Amino acid sequence: MQEIFNHFFDFNLPGEVIMSLILVAILIILCVVIFILVKRADPLKKPKGLLSLVEIGVEKVDGLVEDNMGKSFPNFGAYVIAIALFIFFSFIIGIMGFPNPLCYVGVPLSLALCTFVMIHATSVKYTKWKYFKRYVDPIPIFLPVNLLSMWAPLLSLTLRLFGNAFAGWVLLSIVYWALGSLSNLIFASLPMGPGSIFIAPLVTPILHAYFDVFSGAIQTLVFMFLSMLFVAQEKPEEEKVEEQMALA
Amino acid sequence: MDVGLVAIGAGIAMISAGCSSIGEGMIAAKAIEGMYRNPEMANKLRSNMIVGIALDETCGIYSLLVAILIIFVLGAAK
Repeated sequence: MQEIFNHFFDFNLPGEVIMSLILVAILIILCVVIFILVKRADPLKKPKGLLSLVEIGVEKVDGLVEDNMGKSFPNFGAYVIAIALFIFFSFIIGIMGFPNPLCYVGVPLSLALCTFVMIHATSVKYTKWKYFKRYVDPIPIFLPVNLLSMWAPLLSLTLRLFGNAFAGWVLLSIVYWALGSLSNLIFASLPMGPGSIFIAPLVTPILHAYFDVFSGAIQTLVFMFLSMLFVAQEKPEEEKVEEQMALA
Repeated sequence: MDVGLVAIGAGIAMISAGCSSIGEGMIAAKAIEGMYRNPEMANKLRSNMIVGIALDETCGIYSLLVAILIIFVLGAAK
C-alpha cells in the first residue's frame, strides 16, 4: 500500500502520454465551451463564428456516416468526431515542438482498441448468440485461423497511425540534424561563432506542412472511414436488402 | 555486426514500399478514370479510393516499421 502511494505522484511517464492527457484536457474544455455556446445561442438566428464552423463540421460528418453506414447508426457521428479531433490535433501539436502523442505506440493502440471493441459490440448487438458462430465460420477446423484473423483490424489500425507519425518524426529529426551540422560547417568561421546562423527554419516548414498537416489530415480521414466501414459491415445483410426493397 | 550490412538490410526491406506505391498509383488511376466516365458517382468513388489507398499503404508502412526496427535495434546492438 505504501509502495502504491509513493508511486502515485511519480510522473515518470513518457512525454507522449503526458502530452496526450493534456490534449484530452484541452479538447474537453473546447467541447464544454461549445456546449455552453450552443445552449445560449438563439436557434432562429444564423450561427456566428465558432458555432457556424462547428455546425458545418458536424453536418459534414453526419452526412459521411449516413453515406457509409446507412441510417441504423444515428449517433455514430459523435464517436467519429471525437476520434478525428484527437488524431488531427495530435498531429498539429507536433508542429509546436511538443512530442506527438501518436509516436508512442500505446496511444494509437488505445484508439484502435476503441474501434475494435465497437466492432465486436455491434456484432453482438445484431447477431446475439450467433456471434460465436463467426469463429467457426465455414467449418470448425477454421477456429485457429479465425481466432488469429480477428486481431487484424486492431493491428492494421494501430500500425497505420503509429507508422505515419513515427516516420514523419524520424525523417524530420534526420533533416534537422543534417541541416544543423551543415550550418555549423558553413558558418563556423564567422566572428559570431558556430550556432549563430541556422538554415533549418528555411527548409523544414514545407516538410512540416507535408508530414504533419497533410499526412495528419489524410490519416484522420482514413481512420474515420475505416472505423465506419468496419463497424457497418458487422450489420447483417438481410436488413440492407429489406431497406433497398422498401426504397424500390 | 557490420553497419553496412544493417543498412543494406533496411534498404531491402523498403522494396515493399515501392511495390505498394505502384498499387496505389493503379488504384488512383482507375478511380479517376471512373470519375470521368461517371461524374455523378465522383463522391462515392473518391471515398472508396481513399479507403483502398489506405489499405494498400498499410503494406508500405509495415515495411517502413521493419526498416526502422532493423536500423535502431540491429544497428544499436553491434
